[in-house]
Amino acid sequence: MAEQPLVVAALSPADPLGGADQAALEHTLRLAEALGGRSLAVTVGPAGAEEVLRQALACGVQRVLRIDGPAAADSDTTARALVAGLGLVPDLLLCGDRSSGRGTGATPAFLAARLGAAQALGLTELLLREGELTAVRRIDGRRREQLTVPLPAVCSVERGSARLRRAALPALLAARTAEIQVATVALPEPRQPVRLGPARPYRPRPLVLPAPVGTDPLARIRALTETDRPRTAARVITPAGPEAAVDELLGYLREHGYLAHLTREDDQC
Amino acid sequence: MTEPSYAGPVSASALLQQPPPARDFDVLVVGAGPAGSAAALAAARAGCSVALLERGPYPGSKNVYGGVVYGRILDELVPQWWEEMPVERWVTRRSTMVMTADQALTVDFRSQRWGTAPYNGATAHRSDLDGWLAGHAVAAGAVLVPATVATGLLRTTAGTVVGVRTDRPDGDLTAKVVIACDGVNSFLAKEAGLHPRQDNARHLTLGVKETLALPREVIEQRFGLTGRDGQDIEILGCTRGIPGGGFLYTNLESVSLGVVVGLPGLAAAKVRPEELLADLKAHPAIAPLVRGGRQVEYAAHLIPEGGYDHLPELAGDGLLVAGDAAGMCLAAGIWLEGVNFAIGAGMYAGRAAAAAIGAGDTSQAGLAGYRRALERSFVLADHRKLRKVPGLVLSERMQRQYPGLICDLAEGLFEVDNPRPKPGVWRLLRTAVRRHDISPRRLLADAITGMRAFG
Repeated sequence: MAEQPLVVAALSPADPLGGADQAALEHTLRLAEALGGRSLAVTVGPAGAEEVLRQALACGVQRVLRIDGPAAADSDTTARALVAGLGLVPDLLLCGDRSSGRGTGATPAFLAARLGAAQALGLTELLLREGELTAVRRIDGRRREQLTVPLPAVCSVERGSARLRRAALPALLAARTAEIQVATVALPEPRQPVRLGPARPYRPRPLVLPAPVGTDPLARIRALTETDRPRTAARVITPAGPEAAVDELLGYLREHGYLAHLTREDDQC
Repeated sequence: MTEPSYAGPVSASALLQQPPPARDFDVLVVGAGPAGSAAALAAARAGCSVALLERGPYPGSKNVYGGVVYGRILDELVPQWWEEMPVERWVTRRSTMVMTADQALTVDFRSQRWGTAPYNGATAHRSDLDGWLAGHAVAAGAVLVPATVATGLLRTTAGTVVGVRTDRPDGDLTAKVVIACDGVNSFLAKEAGLHPRQDNARHLTLGVKETLALPREVIEQRFGLTGRDGQDIEILGCTRGIPGGGFLYTNLESVSLGVVVGLPGLAAAKVRPEELLADLKAHPAIAPLVRGGRQVEYAAHLIPEGGYDHLPELAGDGLLVAGDAAGMCLAAGIWLEGVNFAIGAGMYAGRAAAAAIGAGDTSQAGLAGYRRALERSFVLADHRKLRKVPGLVLSERMQRQYPGLICDLAEGLFEVDNPRPKPGVWRLLRTAVRRHDISPRRLLADAITGMRAFG
């Protein structure tokens, strides 16, 4: 770790800051303080994106950087721009788990890959505990798992994982006129996105039937619609108890070939 | 006790032993509604440094409004305002409806002239309108401070207002003049002692509104409109006799339907306001107009309708009050206006603050030019002229007896009751007056009061 670790908040350029971005900014401020390091807020976007950086400045981030680029680039392009604009691998880079709007949450993963850093995504908690970065994230079944994250790392946090501090009034006023550093990077030509066509109405798959024999049209239709097939009356049974009912069901399934792969021993289980 | 995070009935001013040696701004405007933004715009244009404090995350974020915006006063602030103001529809049909439970008489006026420049009134969403006007203030140099609540006044021990305390850390903001445009409940003006302590509720009404989304074509068909033309219907007799009235305004793709009722009458009747709104929505004259509308908003708000006789003090040492905070809402029967009065009052407050700062005297006497400007303008001239009207419109007879009288008179006039010959108007009037137990003397007295009040 460098002498003064650098903690970076990579924010979506949308104003006002989304909930997840607010949480990422708050974690950035807390962890920069806890690590005794520097804090930087960065975004990729046009001049209008500077508003979110001013909010970050007002909340106490030490330095801000706007990387000139389109506001709504795909995740890979955004990650490339961020890595090129930063020009170094920060000790810790924090993002919201997905940008407001219809974000896919893929940017942090692209960032981690390009920076060669560890990644811990979709976190609900992020703390420095005894010199180690520990995190919590949701897993299936309403369970959570605890992670220990080595540095350098890219972490994305859920909205609500931290409440952004209120900006002090003098800082808020000073941030209005603060100079915003701008980096220009060469971005690759945007790739053609997958284009969506109109949705078609639901149509079930056709059931392929063998062609009916014979030449009489009426007989062919009767054969196709199975009009002449003899009907089997429903068999009503009243098993003596649960075991008899199970035997009856298994017997029926076996009779119709559904349990051909099972042995009698499996049945006993 | 922790510091309060809002200004409220129990909030108190922070007292400074010494006036601050330097002020953060010349003028501090609290509230970026129409009055506040107009004040900030006027003061900034006059060369003052201005801060515009807004409680919400952006101006207009509260968006509780059901009314028509008359923009003529904007001619002084934003030339050709109609080309850029965010408008839903320009009101070209102005209707007044008097109703009973199963009758309705509508006086409907249409002028296509109001649908072309320079226009007259418009329906608008405050979420758009407030941001637009605040944008002009910011362009003129005002500093917008959003998401910041003024929790109380900063005053010297001598009582002079020198700023406000906000809910942010290190949140004291000082200024030579504070303009309180903090809305109908103006805790800042109350804290400064500008509002009379008692009977405030008696001069307030409660507006309850639903916004119902309807397709644009449906609105055009039902209300007989084309393009951006709109209709404004003011309704009397729809509040179960509780002093008040109703309204129906057309937006571009929605209609706003609401009732406005006096607080004491509402409390005495023990009726919930949404019941009154449900009644109005189901009335045979209204139901076909709003049928199928999807409710997209439900809101309630207090309205200061006391009129000229119940205005607060408009200036204190270092403090001016404008807009709803100063009770500048005109509810005078056929005239229901608020935003234009707020903009006018804000504009004059901004100019008066700048003039007082220029003259080096921001005491109550130094700020007296504000009241003089208002008295010369429509803001207080209209209120003064129509001072008797709120009392007349909200009177027992106007609310409970006259709607039935008018509707019965119209029904008698238009009903063909052959083989009887048509009755004369006087006979119909006498019959209706008797049926509704109205004293002819009172009727005449009210007619004369009305003529004088409106005259």
